[in-house]
Amino acid sequence: MSEPVAVLGVGQTTYVRRHPESSAADLIWAAAEEALADAGLGIDAVDVIIAGVAPDALAGENCVEKTAIFGTGKPFLRVNTGGVTGSSTAFAGASYVASGRARAALVVSLERMGQASTSQRVFNTIFDPVYEKDFPLTTITMAALRASMLMRVYGYRERDWAEIAARNYRHALRNPLAHLHLDVTPEDVLDSPLLAWPIHRLEACPMSEGACAMVLGHADLAVGRNVAWIQGMASTSDSYAMGDRIRRPEGSLVDLLSLQRSAVRAYADAGVTDPRKEFGVVELYSPFSSAEAMTYPALGFCAPLDGPRFIQEQQEDTSLPVFNPSGGPQAANPVSATAMVRIAECALQVRGLAGERQVAGVRRAVATGQGGATQFSTVCVLGTQRP
Amino acid sequence: MTRPAVYVEGAALEISFADGRRNLQELIFDTVRAAVDDSGQPMHEIDSVVLAAHDLVDGRSLSSMVTSPAAGAYLRDEIRYGDDGAGALAAAVTRLEAGHARRSIVAAWGRSSEHSPDQFSRSLFEPFRSRPLGLDEFVLSAMRAQLCLAAGDGVASARERASLRRINNARANPRALRDGGFRSAPHFPLDDADLPLWADVTAAVVLSTEPGPIRLAGVGQSSEAYNFGDRDLRTITSLKTAAERATADAGFGADAADVAEVDGLTLIDEALGLEAIGFAAPGTGLQALAGDGRCNPSGGGASGYSPPSMGLVRIVETVLQLRGTAGSVQLRQPRRAVATGGSVVAGQTQTVVLLEAVR
Repeated sequence: MSEPVAVLGVGQTTYVRRHPESSAADLIWAAAEEALADAGLGIDAVDVIIAGVAPDALAGENCVEKTAIFGTGKPFLRVNTGGVTGSSTAFAGASYVASGRARAALVVSLERMGQASTSQRVFNTIFDPVYEKDFPLTTITMAALRASMLMRVYGYRERDWAEIAARNYRHALRNPLAHLHLDVTPEDVLDSPLLAWPIHRLEACPMSEGACAMVLGHADLAVGRNVAWIQGMASTSDSYAMGDRIRRPEGSLVDLLSLQRSAVRAYADAGVTDPRKEFGVVELYSPFSSAEAMTYPALGFCAPLDGPRFIQEQQEDTSLPVFNPSGGPQAANPVSATAMVRIAECALQVRGLAGERQVAGVRRAVATGQGGATQFSTVCVLGTQRP
Repeated sequence: MTRPAVYVEGAALEISFADGRRNLQELIFDTVRAAVDDSGQPMHEIDSVVLAAHDLVDGRSLSSMVTSPAAGAYLRDEIRYGDDGAGALAAAVTRLEAGHARRSIVAAWGRSSEHSPDQFSRSLFEPFRSRPLGLDEFVLSAMRAQLCLAAGDGVASARERASLRRINNARANPRALRDGGFRSAPHFPLDDADLPLWADVTAAVVLSTEPGPIRLAGVGQSSEAYNFGDRDLRTITSLKTAAERATADAGFGADAADVAEVDGLTLIDEALGLEAIGFAAPGTGLQALAGDGRCNPSGGGASGYSPPSMGLVRIVETVLQLRGTAGSVQLRQPRRAVATGGSVVAGQTQTVVLLEAVR
């Protein structure tokens, strides 16, 4: 038994380096109140609250979500799955609704990383304290290892990463919530400082604070409302050790097996057979432009060796879906919330409520989440049709 | 709408301390493996893994990067909650009921030998207006204890008897910590015997919707305000609400249970927990712990304690009781059971699970 689940409402704060005027609770409440208003519901109509907060160390405050419990007396849980925290939080809320235990679930993800003096020192602590921490392995150097492997195995060039980044920034110019509004060319991206070869600063995500919330609800609550339906959702975890994934027969480190398997399951639930034609919008959690390239074959948009050509195809073939109309994580990356932002942006697109960044005629969209050492992947398909 | 019933197919727990032969992942693997073996299911029949663990307890950020594969999550659907294990079990139940998974591992752990529970506890409080006061979870438990112990005649003697019984139960429990462990410094009016024995704890169950001998009859969850000034410390409101929801779900309440395993940081918290779920009348929780053999036969927190695993430990203890495999603490043919699990801060979020043996 699975009840259909609708995204009834979406709320987002702006995403900026710091929100000095707001406490963690203020940010959560702002996003939640907007989502509830969008859903046309009060907090009393909500049966469960799921909060997503990734590493506490980024906020400098522990279990920060507990300070913001509202609607006291409701079931309340905290999710922490790193980069996929936002989508895991949404999926948890969807399970409560689909099981019939909740008619409406409020899911909210908060990122408070502006409180961290440097996120990379915190991210260094996600790696093994004995064998890896002293490299120093960080999310940037980890992404650089993958980018160089993509170049060697599949023939990507540095310019490919720059073109993806420039497209994302161009899209973000139409998103008032985005952290970065930069009008840059691929050349500008290549001219930006090198962080870790082959990754330049403008190919990396910023450190962003903010909160995203959604109200998920039973079909009864969707009657007469403009909603987006969750048509398929799936999550897959992979091995931690990157070395174990270099020569694995099922898929190498850059083949994103976890995303591929999530896509297969989510597409099957949603009835998606040709992702190139059936999606109007794709919102990817790729914090580095090079990481975006890994998603193309995993999501079924092209064969692995055709990845570099697919970047060009996106510019020439208007029948292809629009990638990251929000600007994606290159323009705002509130880590705990980013994967929920992807789902929220797809919901807005499907509902035709994305404002200046709206893509015409979107009937179906797909959102991804990516976390850990690219080991946690989620895929969520949203559409206008009730499943 | 009718939800499918969910059953416990396998259960395991281990309480140890500073085992130098195994790291955290190996402790997790051993317990999850034991639960899966106990279920009789091959790994390919399991498609979901739900975890309860906290980075600050595990000692590294996003600890599930290394712990989730040890818990069986490799190429499976996996989610990690930063709340108590009973809450994670409740969430796992929704996945099964919704058809989002067919069979799920639920695992929780805490390794007190490798972190400071007191520092962790202090760090949970708001850094500007609460932490400078020196607050920790035990301060709140001590405040509760003052209210509880001031309640009237007979409470002090009931506390003494309850404390003795708790320790004796823990000594009899074959799963309790035998060597090692440590206790925090008690805050007045708590004393050593009221406190939990910090240990390394791992617990796991396997759940599915296929009919089995132990049914999860009812699940209820609730929460309360963060600021303890906003709470009535004489009771645990969130636990009371969670119990009411579990009762509505199951069609019977905690008062109909033949065994109660209640999670509480201290003896007093366990007593208040029994009252909140309706297993003991208000003001009689300590008497129940002192004289009612159905209450925490495992020895509760005296058997070994480490959040956020304790709600799942309580559930495993009730499963063993209902199966008749609890060893030397086995009660006589219990048919129904209740287990609870609370999470920070001071039990702000609570879960109640009602279980039933299917004969």
